[in-house]
Amino acid sequence: MTPSRILGTVTVGAAIVWSLLAGDVRLSILVGVTATAIAALGLDVLVARTGQLSLAHAAFLGIGAFTVVNAGDRGAPWPLALLAGVVATTFAATIAGLPSLRIRGLQIAITTLAFQVFAEKFLFTRDDVTAAGRTLERPAFLRGDVQLYLFALSCLALVLLLRRRLAVTKGGRSFQAVRDVEARAQCFGVQPGPSKLLAYAISGAIVGLAGGVLALKAGSISAKDPFLLLESLQLVAIVVVGGSGSAAGILTAAVLVKALPQIITEIPLVHLRADRVVPIASAALLVFAVVAQPTGIGGVYRAIGRAVDRFSPRGRREARPDPRPHAVDLDAAARQAVTLRSVEREFQLQMPVRALLEARDVRVAFGGVVAIDGVSLEVRRGEIVGLIGANGAGKSTFFNAVSGLVPVTGSIRFRGVELVGASPARRSALGIARTFQDMGLVRAETVRENVLLAQTWLARAPAAVSLLGLGTSVHDERHLRRRAGLALELFGLEHLAEMSLGELPYGTMRIVEIAAAVAAGPDLLLLDEATAGLGPEESHALGDRFVALRDELGLTLVVIEHHVPLVARVCDYVYCLESGALIAEGSPSDVTAQPRVIESFLGGSAAATGGATR
Amino acid sequence: MIARIITGLSAGAAYAIVAVGVVLIFKGTKALSVAQGEIGAFGFFLGLRWADRGVPGLGWHVPRFATLLIAIVIGALVGAVLERTVMRRLVTRPPLDALIATLGIALFLALLEKEMFGTATQFAPSPVGEWKIELLGTSLTAPRVIAIVSVLIVAAAVWLFLNRTKFGLAVLATTGDPVVARVLGVPVNRVYRFTWVAAGALSGLAAALLGPAFGGLTPFDMTRFSLRALAGAVIGGLDSVWGAIVGCLAIGVLEGVVGGSVSTAGAPELAVLALVLATLLLRPRGLLGAEGAA
Repeated sequence: MTPSRILGTVTVGAAIVWSLLAGDVRLSILVGVTATAIAALGLDVLVARTGQLSLAHAAFLGIGAFTVVNAGDRGAPWPLALLAGVVATTFAATIAGLPSLRIRGLQIAITTLAFQVFAEKFLFTRDDVTAAGRTLERPAFLRGDVQLYLFALSCLALVLLLRRRLAVTKGGRSFQAVRDVEARAQCFGVQPGPSKLLAYAISGAIVGLAGGVLALKAGSISAKDPFLLLESLQLVAIVVVGGSGSAAGILTAAVLVKALPQIITEIPLVHLRADRVVPIASAALLVFAVVAQPTGIGGVYRAIGRAVDRFSPRGRREARPDPRPHAVDLDAAARQAVTLRSVEREFQLQMPVRALLEARDVRVAFGGVVAIDGVSLEVRRGEIVGLIGANGAGKSTFFNAVSGLVPVTGSIRFRGVELVGASPARRSALGIARTFQDMGLVRAETVRENVLLAQTWLARAPAAVSLLGLGTSVHDERHLRRRAGLALELFGLEHLAEMSLGELPYGTMRIVEIAAAVAAGPDLLLLDEATAGLGPEESHALGDRFVALRDELGLTLVVIEHHVPLVARVCDYVYCLESGALIAEGSPSDVTAQPRVIESFLGGSAAATGGATR
Repeated sequence: MIARIITGLSAGAAYAIVAVGVVLIFKGTKALSVAQGEIGAFGFFLGLRWADRGVPGLGWHVPRFATLLIAIVIGALVGAVLERTVMRRLVTRPPLDALIATLGIALFLALLEKEMFGTATQFAPSPVGEWKIELLGTSLTAPRVIAIVSVLIVAAAVWLFLNRTKFGLAVLATTGDPVVARVLGVPVNRVYRFTWVAAGALSGLAAALLGPAFGGLTPFDMTRFSLRALAGAVIGGLDSVWGAIVGCLAIGVLEGVVGGSVSTAGAPELAVLALVLATLLLRPRGLLGAEGAA
């Protein structure tokens, strides 16, 4: 254990022990605070993982609490009543999340705002909804304040566990991929629509649990204040001040905002009433946090953790590994990694085909601009094929056509199967993986999680099932992790597995992206400017890796590459594009010697001096 | 029915004054401001206080009609201060950050108003006189008439400003691409400040008209009104002044008609939610919004 972990564990333990000794009145306050913290953690699932803001979470909280009381009053035993509350909020939140399928960002915040107002005026003015006059019988084992508080803490622990599961399973990874690289994530097998709705559903379920805790605490609910717009804003304040994504920070903020005004009724010396000052101060703190401390209290905790870890050699080592890939015995690593190739596909190649990939008359047009105009080419199995051409020649657009990100006319057949019309996810399942010129991964996530993300199509169990660890999902995840480990070793990245991607140098990020694509178990690998941002030695080493991928793993590669010596060294065949049309093809030496290629791609000056300058 | 439509239009016109400010800020800074109602409310409450108890230190009671001016001036000042201290630091951040900051500002202002002026409804006599006009058998009070007239004037002025003046061109250039605009010599910081000052002033005007028209204001009331303004702006497309006005008028009329003919509590709110959802689902960029603006 690193010192920061020890410090964190001791602090949390001390806080729980102290809170248990706090006395009955304070315990009852703390139950309410815990419920608020749970609701804020639910809101944070949306904010941190999907980048969307909901201003309707107080309404969800109300729907949960009222449903639990209603169900309890009608004679449902408490676990069933609690479940009813969770189901009701899950449903409400999913409905409120429907607009996210069509619109994004700021407008969604406004639609949730409209939902909050609707819930206040339409739902919460009805006696049959608000459970007016009804009571929920608290079960015998929860009669005491200590018992209720412990119950609330167990709910909190459950939510923290759920958040942890979200961080390490398919669902959470998909949320972030949809947030950062929505279109590209489909190439990993992520489905943006269901992923968005699942995020709302999970967020709603957590808030429903918070509502249940409130209902159990109060028994019957008369005041609607905790479910109005002001409370929605306060939940946002707690998440932002606490630091979106940080459970510890959010818990601290919840205590500051909710418990402080009730526990300290008067601030000494200045004689200000805390219950009046704290709300204003927390609003000011919210503005301050957004401007000056976007990572919130959680960011402060992380900084403290890093500072503490400097005192231990192990902590120091883990905090700052060498950010470059380390040297690998390529042949040995590739033999190890050959199991990456054994993936189950629903489609197995039946008859021999001439080429792995055959493009016929491919045409891509954006409005009036024709980006690719009737390109026909083929990629034979087990070759490294170079795609060269000047900027804007249509090379990346061709990759987008193959992976299904742009509308195409013509025909693209992969292993004899027509790709045109197939979804990007289906293409990845057929055996195509790719990298992007400007990164298609999630910078905020760790290297390992990104490599796992790229294998989403391999995890057959639905995201919700894997979140709960049911069925085959446990086996799936273990399998994916083993594959991720192999891919990282193959590229000499295993010492960086827990670093977040955005902290690494650009060149390393590119290698991570290739490792992720290889981990997805493709037959055909499309690499878009893999060596951009690499130094000469790193480029050379990457060229050796291409050859190892072809020879040891039996992959077929198409590489978009500007570095002509590398193309000449590793490629078996080269196509040259100009203005969306094919102008040359053949062996690297043939193609780079053609005058038209030199003029178009290598440039006039290179033609004058009789060869490539790089 | 006609009466409900006309009163609905007048309410929608008042929302639209706030919404024009929201659109201006969105055009200038790409921020969606939830604080746009509360800024004006602060000026409105301060004006009332100075009229009732006199300006602190001077002991001079502001005349009633001046509460309108005070609301506008204080609104503009608050806008300027917020822009300089908070919002300018957020222009390069993700748009959600600016939205959250304005939430904090709305919350802060409303709670501050509660502390300074209390939670009781602040009744205000009309700053534009106590007269009525008869229109198609409906009598409209002075603030409602002025709301309709002002939104027309404001919309025309904003349109002329954006499309016929050099500084308006600077605002539009900043909307397009702030970095390129700055490189081309557009005073981008002045554009940011201007949009917040103008929106603050409009918010003050709206508060001074809505207060008397709706029988007084309490803290948070203007935030509630500005939610309709935001919904109207979103319906209109966020970056279109005329779109926001059309959206707000539609919301005003919808609320008036549904509220008047359906007795179920919350029916107007349900109708507004349905209108917002239907518009965005059928036309994600809003009625008059530019492609890919938001």
